[in-house]
Amino acid sequence: MLWYKAWLETRWRFAIGLAILMVSACGLVFAYPQVARLMPLASTIEARGEIGRRVQEAVQLSREYHGYIWSQWFRQNLIQMWTVFAALLGAGGLLSQASGGAALYTLSMPASRARLLVVRAAAGLGELLVLAIAPSLLIPLLSPAVGDSYSVVDAIVHGACLFLGGAVFYALAVLLSTIFADIWRPLLISLAVAVVMALGEMFVRDVWPHGIFSLMNGEAYFRTRHVPWAGLIVTTAAAAALLYGAAVSLAQRDF
Amino acid sequence: MADAPVIEIAGLQKRYASVDAVRGLDLQVPRGSIFGFLGRNGAGKTTTIKMLLGMARPSGGSARVFGLAADAPHASVEIRRRTGFVSEDKELYDFMTVDDLVRFTAPFFPRWRRDLEERYRRTFELRGDMKVKTLSRGMRTKLALLLALCRGAELLVLDEPTAGLDPAVTEEVLQALVGHVARDETTVFFSSHQIAEVEQIADRIAIIDRGRAVLTGALDDLRDNFRRVQLVFDREAPQTTFRAAGVARVRRQGRVLTVVTSGGAEPILDEARALGPVSVDVAPVTLKDIFLETVATED
Repeated sequence: MLWYKAWLETRWRFAIGLAILMVSACGLVFAYPQVARLMPLASTIEARGEIGRRVQEAVQLSREYHGYIWSQWFRQNLIQMWTVFAALLGAGGLLSQASGGAALYTLSMPASRARLLVVRAAAGLGELLVLAIAPSLLIPLLSPAVGDSYSVVDAIVHGACLFLGGAVFYALAVLLSTIFADIWRPLLISLAVAVVMALGEMFVRDVWPHGIFSLMNGEAYFRTRHVPWAGLIVTTAAAAALLYGAAVSLAQRDF
Repeated sequence: MADAPVIEIAGLQKRYASVDAVRGLDLQVPRGSIFGFLGRNGAGKTTTIKMLLGMARPSGGSARVFGLAADAPHASVEIRRRTGFVSEDKELYDFMTVDDLVRFTAPFFPRWRRDLEERYRRTFELRGDMKVKTLSRGMRTKLALLLALCRGAELLVLDEPTAGLDPAVTEEVLQALVGHVARDETTVFFSSHQIAEVEQIADRIAIIDRGRAVLTGALDDLRDNFRRVQLVFDREAPQTTFRAAGVARVRRQGRVLTVVTSGGAEPILDEARALGPVSVDVAPVTLKDIFLETVATED
């Protein structure tokens, strides 16, 4: 029944995330005909620096539908919004309940703290997997409506890269939630870490092209059709280590 | 093992940063008793309860429940499987309804009592679709009590179960508790600073002050043995100490010397008469007096 509680606790955050991502995926697909019509004008855009290079690259990629979906959905909209919801779903838990008093009720149940944490983490990860895959699957489903197609396998592979690569932000928020008693600090610190890593990755990509966000957006798979297993194993191990740290931190807490 | 105490606490300590919340507490709660754990606010009652249920780790000493070490994680799960608990603030999950909470709680307890659940839902007028966040404090307490009583628990641990309730709801809650214990022979360990309610339902008590038990025993024995001996003099009351055992407190006020003793009045009467008072008056004391005298002695 801990699953039931974990679901009731997070269902609104999950449902809002799912709704926003679904609407965003629909909007992206149905905007493509308009984007395609504007493409001839895009060659007049003059842009400099890293951001300019990215704009020009996005324009180039958007000349065909597959590239448009990757650059706009998997590299931008989905990855950004999903990371926010990963931090949002990871924040909270026993310690924030403690400030409201309900933690003692949870702790009076015959369940170890490790089990409480594992169930909560598993429920959150399950929700994040749905947030990564379900809106992405909407794209192959809706693409025929705009006269294009998108591979279901590609949608699943990109969604899986996002989930396995980005679970580390969720795990970080869970760990911080065993340290701070409010939900805001774990949320904001996790997001700050994500923003700093994204900016860092943007500006050092010529020197170090293996950042976590290029792993999450499945760039290697998009360009070479190879799944970046090594990177995904590293991020999954990092997420597992953070969750283990959260379990240790929770076990040592006095309520 | 049938007569072994349900709760055994020896030299229990809890230190938070620079504060000693519990300082060498010794206590035994016999099986089948209704044990009142009395103390002022901040005396260490809630901290002790948290340590018994594995919510806080002792800094020293030991606490055993059903013979199991309360600070061992696996044993603690077993302790909680056999224990019903109501916390001081009665906080439950605001995002659940009454039905949700029962549905969440019941599967944890193999001996969940559906018959009691039905009875207490009716008695306490708790509808299944009521949202926890809309419940008054009184209704919340009743729900917390329902969730504790229906676990089929051998031990009920109640932290200030009637705190903040009006007299009518307090009476309703206490009656439900007494009725339950009479039917199911459950051991009850409840903390309170409401002396009247402890006197109403407890058969044994412990008074805790500043993290230490300053008095423990059967309530009837305490009532039988505690006496106030008042000596009135025709002059200023003499400054004196009594050699007899059990003298809890001696107070001088003008011509009056008041002695509170826990060992009956007889042992000190000879000493008292030898001081030459014009009158000697022996009176029984109430639990409130015992509490105030015991706690005051510690000041």
